[in-house]
Amino acid sequence: MDTVTLNALGPGAASAIIMLLADARLPAGAHVTSNGVEAGLRHGLVTGEVAAYMRARMRTVVRVEAGTAVVTRHALTDTRVVDGDEVDRGSRSDRESSAILADIGDEWAARTPSPALREIAEALGAGLRRVAVTLWPKLNPVMPRRGLPRPVVLGSIAAAAGIPAADLVRLVAYDDAQTVAAAMLKLEPMDPLAATGWVLEACTAFEPCVADLATLTDPAAIPAAGAPLIEDWAEAQSALPRRLFRA
Amino acid sequence: MPEIPTPHRSLRLGVAGPVGTGKSSLIAMICRTLADEIRIGVITNDIYTDEDARLLRAAGVLDPDRIRAIETGACPHTAIRDDVTANLAGVEELEAAFDPLDLVLVESGGDNLTATFSPALIDAQIFVLDVAGGGDVARKGGPGIGRADLLVVNKTDLAPYVGVDVEQMISDAEAAREQGPVLGLSRTDKESVARLRSWLLALLETHRSGAHEPQDPGPMAPHFHADDDGGYVHSHAESESHGHADDPNHADSDHDSAGGPDPREHAEGGDRIPADRVLADGRG
Repeated sequence: MDTVTLNALGPGAASAIIMLLADARLPAGAHVTSNGVEAGLRHGLVTGEVAAYMRARMRTVVRVEAGTAVVTRHALTDTRVVDGDEVDRGSRSDRESSAILADIGDEWAARTPSPALREIAEALGAGLRRVAVTLWPKLNPVMPRRGLPRPVVLGSIAAAAGIPAADLVRLVAYDDAQTVAAAMLKLEPMDPLAATGWVLEACTAFEPCVADLATLTDPAAIPAAGAPLIEDWAEAQSALPRRLFRA
Repeated sequence: MPEIPTPHRSLRLGVAGPVGTGKSSLIAMICRTLADEIRIGVITNDIYTDEDARLLRAAGVLDPDRIRAIETGACPHTAIRDDVTANLAGVEELEAAFDPLDLVLVESGGDNLTATFSPALIDAQIFVLDVAGGGDVARKGGPGIGRADLLVVNKTDLAPYVGVDVEQMISDAEAAREQGPVLGLSRTDKESVARLRSWLLALLETHRSGAHEPQDPGPMAPHFHADDDGGYVHSHAESESHGHADDPNHADSDHDSAGGPDPREHAEGGDRIPADRVLADGRG
């Protein structure tokens, strides 16, 4: 499967790729994180509060991540498909694109004060980059092997694959909640269907934010929605001597 | 973006097997036996702690910085087979940090009999059982027992205490493996350690010459061949025969004349280190 083949799928390609990116079976190394819920449980969070934890993430870290992804997508989208034809190819060099990604990464880092959160996001970014440069080889010269956080890599894929901005925002949100849910099943005794219900509730609660986030184009406008407790738990998680999840 | 030089591609050797069969001890033994001759790095995959990495560091058999623990998010099976991302990153970082390494050992988290490594992560794999786990385990078969490059039956010195007939267990294993190599091993049996050592050196030699062909216990995934230019990764379509084992140049055009797929060809490929090379010295 290469870019040409993917493009040949036409409008269906973006939908297929969204499903692929949201699938836990995607080999990108994402199963090593609990999105902080393991540390949260050690610090007094109880199972009955995890749905609220997901919603709290939607109002804070998810807005930062989704905003970063959307802005990246916008910056790298140098082609527009009009009536099935590719037009308006940008003239930007790979080096320039690479510099743009680095700048957006800096904007994301400025809104992510926890070193532990930045570290895991960059590890997950490196894992997703493997997927990106294999399926979309044109991204290879644009993305350094290390240092790009996951939302920047995801936004780059969205640009290469023609994923609409609003769907990209929903993808970030869904993935965030589902990561917590999957980790919960390993950490606490509970009904897996209950966790699945929480994911849908969290995504539904987030839906009113989607449209505004999808319109972002300026890196300076990425939401700065910090969550000190989530950052604190991320730091605590990184120091746990015995843990199931890296983050 | 500045180009970073590609480090030397080591022989990546996986060590899998159920919990407590002695994977970490086997790795310590390999390091102890070969660390003076070849440059070794180790990746461990603990489930809940970095206990294995600590044990190996404490054993003093290798520079502690060359031993790295990878966290698998409670999915040890996934991390060596379905999604090797974290382990692959660990191996590549180790190869870059200590370039050139001859051998990187990847220890899986203890798992069940179905857990084997993907050829996208490793070039060859050892599956470890032990006599204390029961003499009948070898007969149960499964991808690791059946088709790993080497099956180790560990802790043979414990056999009298657990009522296991080692010769029978090894012969059962050989039958399950269609005569693939099986090594009865005990740290108190120096001859068995010498056989492990010669198997490894022979494997390393085949890998360096580019003739080593990964024997995947499961469906074939993209895999690596060393050669003078640093080696390359390739994959095979399902309909292709994998007949290049006998062809040192490994021309893919040969596939056209290979006469159709033969699923057994892999298991019997010419590059497998034959059983007699494992068992030859020290048993005569």
